[in-house]
Amino acid sequence: MSGLGWAVRSLIRQRLRTALAVIGIAISAAMLLDMVMLSGGIEKSFAELLLAKGYQIRLTPKGTLPFDTEATLDRASSIVARLRRDTAIASAGAVLGTSLYGRSRDSLVTLVGYGIQPEAQGVYQVQRGQDLARHDTLGVLLSASAAGLLRAEVGGTVSLVGRLDPQVATAGVSRQLVVRGIVRWVYDYRGQPSVGTILPVMQALAAVGPDDRASLVLVKARSDAAAPALAERLREEFPRLEVYSVADLVRFFKQRLVYFRQLSYILATMSLVVTVLLITTLLTITVNERLGEIATLRAIGIGRSTVVRQVFIEGAVLTVLGAVLGIALGLGTARYLDSILTSFPGLPAAFSFFVPRRETLTAAALVLLVTGSLAGLYPAWLAARAPIAATLRSEAT
Amino acid sequence: MGTYARRYRVLAGLLFIIGGSPVAAQVAEVAVERRLAEELGLAVGDTLRLGPAVEPLTTLGVVSAIYEPMPDPAEIAKRERHIRMHLPDLAELLGAPDRVDRYGVGLRPGASADTAARVLNRTAFGYRAYTSRAIASESSQTFLVVSRFHRAIAVITIVASAVFLLCIMLLKVEERRLDAAVMRFVGVRRRTIFGALLLEAALIAALGSVAGSGLAYLAGAATNAYYRRFFDTGLTFSLITPEIIAFSVGLSLGLGIVAGSVAAWRLVHTRPLVLWGRG
Repeated sequence: MSGLGWAVRSLIRQRLRTALAVIGIAISAAMLLDMVMLSGGIEKSFAELLLAKGYQIRLTPKGTLPFDTEATLDRASSIVARLRRDTAIASAGAVLGTSLYGRSRDSLVTLVGYGIQPEAQGVYQVQRGQDLARHDTLGVLLSASAAGLLRAEVGGTVSLVGRLDPQVATAGVSRQLVVRGIVRWVYDYRGQPSVGTILPVMQALAAVGPDDRASLVLVKARSDAAAPALAERLREEFPRLEVYSVADLVRFFKQRLVYFRQLSYILATMSLVVTVLLITTLLTITVNERLGEIATLRAIGIGRSTVVRQVFIEGAVLTVLGAVLGIALGLGTARYLDSILTSFPGLPAAFSFFVPRRETLTAAALVLLVTGSLAGLYPAWLAARAPIAATLRSEAT
Repeated sequence: MGTYARRYRVLAGLLFIIGGSPVAAQVAEVAVERRLAEELGLAVGDTLRLGPAVEPLTTLGVVSAIYEPMPDPAEIAKRERHIRMHLPDLAELLGAPDRVDRYGVGLRPGASADTAARVLNRTAFGYRAYTSRAIASESSQTFLVVSRFHRAIAVITIVASAVFLLCIMLLKVEERRLDAAVMRFVGVRRRTIFGALLLEAALIAALGSVAGSGLAYLAGAATNAYYRRFFDTGLTFSLITPEIIAFSVGLSLGLGIVAGSVAAWRLVHTRPLVLWGRG
């Protein structure tokens, strides 16, 4: 009989304990897979989100992260013009983020406003209707949520209101704009009511002053490979601004979510410990129960290495069975856990904490298999050093 | 009724030290957060140059106090550094006189915050009134999500532990096959053997629970020590309450006894010769 067949028969002989061990390993494997996905998924998902429209570099006011504060940079158009003259840059565009209001019947609804340069924008994708033209001072883009709140559709008109003055109970700035399209804003949280106009219109609505302000400038390098060197060069050219590459932003984001990464390491380690304990305990007791059988095999000439291999295979079979079940279970629980974490207030709807990837699945399966096999070391050592004569004598009595 | 107004979010990145030169009478007073003071080597009496942007930094400020901010879980991961100034000084610095981000309103004793907020919102134009409870509820959404995540992880951990415990108990009782067979041969009743095995299972579960509780206290203390140092905060990250201990001990005892009962029942209903390995 082959080693595998022998191992399977041995496991079938003790159905209940095998079933419990496989279930235990499966749950641990599921946890391990989820935590491996969590530890690497956060940064990968964030990097993908940042690169959604291909812009690899962001310029923001000194000391701030993109859209992290209300700080703005001045002379945005001249910065953009200077960047566009750079031969290493494929495209550059400024974005202003602000809060404003929209009239819906008799009331005002609070909205998030984006001022964009349509010819170089990296913050939305048109879903219905059309994009804004470069100098379209009468058009507006709405998110589906904003369209719902303002009861507007493509071709309709909306009234946007800038700063409100409580003392005279009137709006500082008001504009009637035609809805050109319904768009998905890449960095919006679920249900965020956002509107977008060309930059000068939003600057007027936000009343940010006469000095051409923007929250950030997006830069697309001609190639991804050239982006880090370009970011370095822009840092020297614009010392009054922060220049972030995607890698820089991912590093800051990782710092903010360091708790989840560390939690994933701790829980993954605990899962592995539980798996090792389970397999070692099960195999040790099985070996102790079968010492007579092992001594008999040794007595008729079966080598130590064969016995050791046998114990290892038994551990590996348990691990593989548990891992297969665990991966299926882990993918299910990952979806559930992701649905919890992505409900964080303010988190972009496109963001995901648990991203199943081939390399993640392979890494989790390999770690589990190696750990499961190593867990068989102690019982295999017990089996190999069983004294033949004494064991046979004790079995005979 | 009293009110106060605040402007906030002054960026630490806009601060620069120019040394401890004598302070002029009109210089703005600045209270600096302890961590920022440590990072920049600031002491009370030092003079700063401040500005709303990197250039120009034309306003002078003097460090009048170094303060320890209240531990705030929402702030720890941001690594932002704050300073505090008198409202007129900050408004002048930002070039936005008589503008504030929010007002705090203190009500007379007995007045209802909900009613006051409703009344203010009825006449509101350009602002919205919230009760402190509503703000606390809104700002705690992040922690509710974290709490839900922890609960989900806890459920998975409990299921894994339960299966582990069942497996161990089953193996532990099965290990006593020969003892059970001998006891049956010498005439010990099934009920007595069952009781003995059950007692053993309960004792193991109880010992495991006590050891687990001790381990949890140690892990909790280590977690708090690590994260307090990591985030430089006085927040409590791991809190082990008597209720949590009672739940964990109760669960592991219950599971241990159930698992021990199942395994013991199987054992006492197996023929003694089979238990002896000759059946």
